[in-house]
Amino acid sequence: MNNDTTTPKPAAEWQLRSVYSTRLFALLAVGAVLLAISAHRSEVDKGLADSGRAIVAVVRGKPESSRVARGWLRFLSHAFPLVIASYEPIENPEEFDPDTLPAFAYRDTKYPIKDTMGDVVRYVDAVVKPIGYLTYVGGLLVQTIEIAIWGTILSVLISIPLAYFGAAGYTPNKFSYNVARAICNMNRAIPELIAALVFAVAYGQGAWAGILALGVHTSGFLGKFFADDIENAAKGPQEALASTGANKLKVLRYAVLPQVMPQFLAYGQYILERNVRSATVLGIVGAGGIGVELNERWKQFDYGHVSTILLAIFITVFILEQIAQRVRARLIGE
Amino acid sequence: MIRFKAARKRFADGTVAVDDLTLEIPAGQFCVFLGASGAGKSSVLKLVNGMVQPTSGRVEFDGIEVVPRTYREIRPRIAMVHQQFNLVLRSTILRNVLAGALPGTSTTAAMLSLFPAELQQKACRLLERVGLSEKHLYRRAAHLSGGQQQRVAIARAFILDPTLVLADEPVASLDPEISRGILQLLRDASRESGTTVMCSLHQPDLAREFADRIVGLARGKVIFDGLPDQLDEEMIGRIYAGARAARETAEDDGPVALGALTASEAV
Repeated sequence: MNNDTTTPKPAAEWQLRSVYSTRLFALLAVGAVLLAISAHRSEVDKGLADSGRAIVAVVRGKPESSRVARGWLRFLSHAFPLVIASYEPIENPEEFDPDTLPAFAYRDTKYPIKDTMGDVVRYVDAVVKPIGYLTYVGGLLVQTIEIAIWGTILSVLISIPLAYFGAAGYTPNKFSYNVARAICNMNRAIPELIAALVFAVAYGQGAWAGILALGVHTSGFLGKFFADDIENAAKGPQEALASTGANKLKVLRYAVLPQVMPQFLAYGQYILERNVRSATVLGIVGAGGIGVELNERWKQFDYGHVSTILLAIFITVFILEQIAQRVRARLIGE
Repeated sequence: MIRFKAARKRFADGTVAVDDLTLEIPAGQFCVFLGASGAGKSSVLKLVNGMVQPTSGRVEFDGIEVVPRTYREIRPRIAMVHQQFNLVLRSTILRNVLAGALPGTSTTAAMLSLFPAELQQKACRLLERVGLSEKHLYRRAAHLSGGQQQRVAIARAFILDPTLVLADEPVASLDPEISRGILQLLRDASRESGTTVMCSLHQPDLAREFADRIVGLARGKVIFDGLPDQLDEEMIGRIYAGARAARETAEDDGPVALGALTASEAV
């Protein structure tokens, strides 16, 4: 430390390091080789080549010559127009009473029924609701959002004790710290799709299995993020309150919580948003909501219905994001 | 009355912050600990409420030995004022003052922020006393200037009617004029309530102006103990010469000052 005997080197002789070292180039080369090997294993090379061929085929005006372009065309040609109407075939025309029709609905004696290729196969006598399918999808989306909200509530409830025991400085001992952190890691590690399947075995298929899966999986994220934030909160105010003899819980409530609240709200908002998206996917394994419908329409090649659902999900996530931003701004209030 | 008996504090890195300190501070005294950074002022103060534990020796507060077993009993009677104010910047002024009364509030009431009306009125009186007004009550601490933040911190310190206030470099991050105002306030408030103050400073002129008694520290040792009038230029030179030597060997301010630094940066 105290080297008074050696004369210091003049600044002109100080060693400067070059920005790009040989080691950096060596690392980049190794990385490139590994990525090249992996690209072949993961079919990245094949995918890029197929995409290139598809673009060339479309530019030349012969999309049929490329498998990828054909696939895209098949989906897009049936994805539009969006299907927003619904119909119910009339079984006994003699008993049909026009006065009992719901609002906006009308009778079409020659309603066209199309096959998966978009060709009309037959005509039926049916009651048509012009936005019937849209309102049906809307109802399912509300159900999906409800699952997501309950999943988020459950997630927060699980993550609060995990955060307390997983934050160094508040956890009672090293053992409880490790247990809390391990539970966080485990919850994160189990994909919610798998968790939903497991819960469905116990509770049966439905919304509750989906809620449990979402809550358990995302509590792993929230618990870890909350705990990390508590650990990183400014120490000064905590020391100030601890020095008066306030217990840990009080210090956490008055010196830590006000500091970390904006972050907590941001995490909660993100988890809610991702839960809406995840709840959609969970429907595919039967956990209720829009996913069930999406999965069935997909299997029947009803791409018009599928695109309606996808667009509805996109709009819902967008609107939720806007609402959440506003709520958060109000709560943080700068 | 605070009593140090051969108290010594040696940090894990080998720095001796407090070296064989024997001292008595009678009730009601405004005692200033003078010294440069790394002289051990902060550690001396923190020995009294157990934020720093002595390696050997003994510290007594009102006849009670300061050991982990007695923290619960003594800490609510000792308040602290910090160099970096240590307010919760996102909380309101009122909330910050009330937070000083947490040891006297039940945990359930504290979790729900249900402070008795009496306590809230007392917080208002204290805020008025330190020169703040009604419009500040529900403002965030972050919106106040440094001097105002320290005033809030003083109000927070006095809310439980402490018998001792530990002021750790309370004016180190404030300009000289505001520093005088803060020290004046601290001294007047403690005189009114008969509170003992242990205050660490590194400015000799401020120490001479406000102290009842000055204790000069260098490298953890007391090298001066007397009335403000007795502190002459030669003695000031010795206090700071010792500190310079200490800094050159330690190369930093030691663990205590370092902790305060990281906390301030995190804000």
